Amino acid sequence: MTVGRFSGRLSWRPNIAGLVTMAVCGLVWETAIQIGILHYQYLPAPSAIVLGAGELAASGELVAATLHTLESVFLGWAIAVAAGVSFGLLLGSSPLLRRYSMATIEVLRPMPAIAFVPVALLLFGFSIQTELMVIILPSLWPVLINTMGGLMGVHARLGDVGRTFRLSRAAILYKVFVPAATPAIMVGVRISLTLAVVLAVLAEMVGNPEGLGYAVVSQQQALRPDLMFVYVAVIGLLGLALNALLVGVVSASFPAASAELKGPRS
Amino acid sequence: MAGGETTGQQQRDFVFSCRSVSLKLPYQGGTRWILADISFDIHRGELFTIVGPSGTGKTTLIRVLGGLTPCTSGSVRINGQEIAGPPEGVIIVFQDYSHALLQWRTVFRNVALGIEGRVAASELRSQVLAALRLVGLEKNADDYPWQLSGGMQQRVQIARALAVRPAVLLMDEPFAALDAMTKASLQDELLRVKQETGCSIVFITHDIEEAVYLGDRIAVINGSPGRIERTFDITLPKPRNQIITRQLTEFLKFRYAVHQAIAGMIR
Repeated sequence: MTVGRFSGRLSWRPNIAGLVTMAVCGLVWETAIQIGILHYQYLPAPSAIVLGAGELAASGELVAATLHTLESVFLGWAIAVAAGVSFGLLLGSSPLLRRYSMATIEVLRPMPAIAFVPVALLLFGFSIQTELMVIILPSLWPVLINTMGGLMGVHARLGDVGRTFRLSRAAILYKVFVPAATPAIMVGVRISLTLAVVLAVLAEMVGNPEGLGYAVVSQQQALRPDLMFVYVAVIGLLGLALNALLVGVVSASFPAASAELKGPRS
Repeated sequence: MAGGETTGQQQRDFVFSCRSVSLKLPYQGGTRWILADISFDIHRGELFTIVGPSGTGKTTLIRVLGGLTPCTSGSVRINGQEIAGPPEGVIIVFQDYSHALLQWRTVFRNVALGIEGRVAASELRSQVLAALRLVGLEKNADDYPWQLSGGMQQRVQIARALAVRPAVLLMDEPFAALDAMTKASLQDELLRVKQETGCSIVFITHDIEEAVYLGDRIAVINGSPGRIERTFDITLPKPRNQIITRQLTEFLKFRYAVHQAIAGMIR
């Protein structure tokens, strides 16, 4: 039959055309600086950045900063996902709770993350707690809203099916509604991870003096743009890698769900 | 108590007993009567078809029988007991199989839904496989529903109902979304399954020929609110055959009579 559409396996095909574009951009940048078309005091050439990366990797600073940021991202994201899924499940299954809480959520949700920094600083000082608070609060919402919305969007027929088989309310929730809402929950989990990386870097720039975010700022103040650009690039690659990792894990754990998202066969 | 004997009598003869069942639902600020004064009995082991045009409360009636929607007045008894919520051994098979199946579960695990955690693992396996064999899907146990055709998906839903070994199947226009050929083969499969399992079936349809072909008895429902105006005993010989039965003079006679009953009420 049509098992050909089954896409549980990860395939890795390098995107040659995309890589060529990147290489050309890098080459144009390098050339423009070498022949002096681009002339800013603190804009390094790609070659200088590559050399800087070697320097930072050798000294161990790059690894230490990356590990710190990774740790904060994972910790903050894990807490945000746990809290977001829990509250999302509660709100998604109780109209009463929704009636009492949605107004508060709609006020809190659009608050910009940066507004929490002074609050967190006052509460926790320049610490990992400040960083976690800045990560967790904003990255909680995508998980919560998508979990709640996913649960509310499950077709009513599935509830009827659970009832006609005399499943308990709890069994209907965990056997029927939660799996049916999993694709939506995963969307929230993914948005939240991307957000957590951005927020960790932000918190490190202004709150907790550690990790990649602080490294960017301190290299800027040390007037080492080549090293600053190394950290900027590493932050970009980190976001890319974490997202790819999550997509891989999700499609390996929920082959049916991800295939279903691509639409039914007939 | 004098009533005790009547109940015992009912238990032998009838699975379902509806008396003056009426139902109103909230509608645009007010309420609207969906069903009015519905009374009928369903005999043990019979295939009872309810036929009528759309908008006459057929689906609502099956939800009442299945305990998903309580009636406003009247009584629905199963084996002599007033129903409160979905009764044991009564399973609804829904029309929209794609929404009714758990798309993230394999066929096997879909069919296991009603018995998992309720029977031992080895028994679960044999019960699920037996149900799949009844509908000819034993080879598709490891497929996902979205990999199957519409007719096969509806077979999965029927197997899932059969796996709990129900006393009654309530089928809500189960073949309405299928093409004519698939529909015919599923009709015959249903008759065979009923033969093999001995369960009672309430079958709702808007297809008069289907109602006559399948039914031991037909109730005609019509109007808004829906009322059951007539019932027919279908005395066609069994086993029924798609070609031979449908050519019988009696078949055409029943078809005509049901048609007239519906048309008469529309006027």
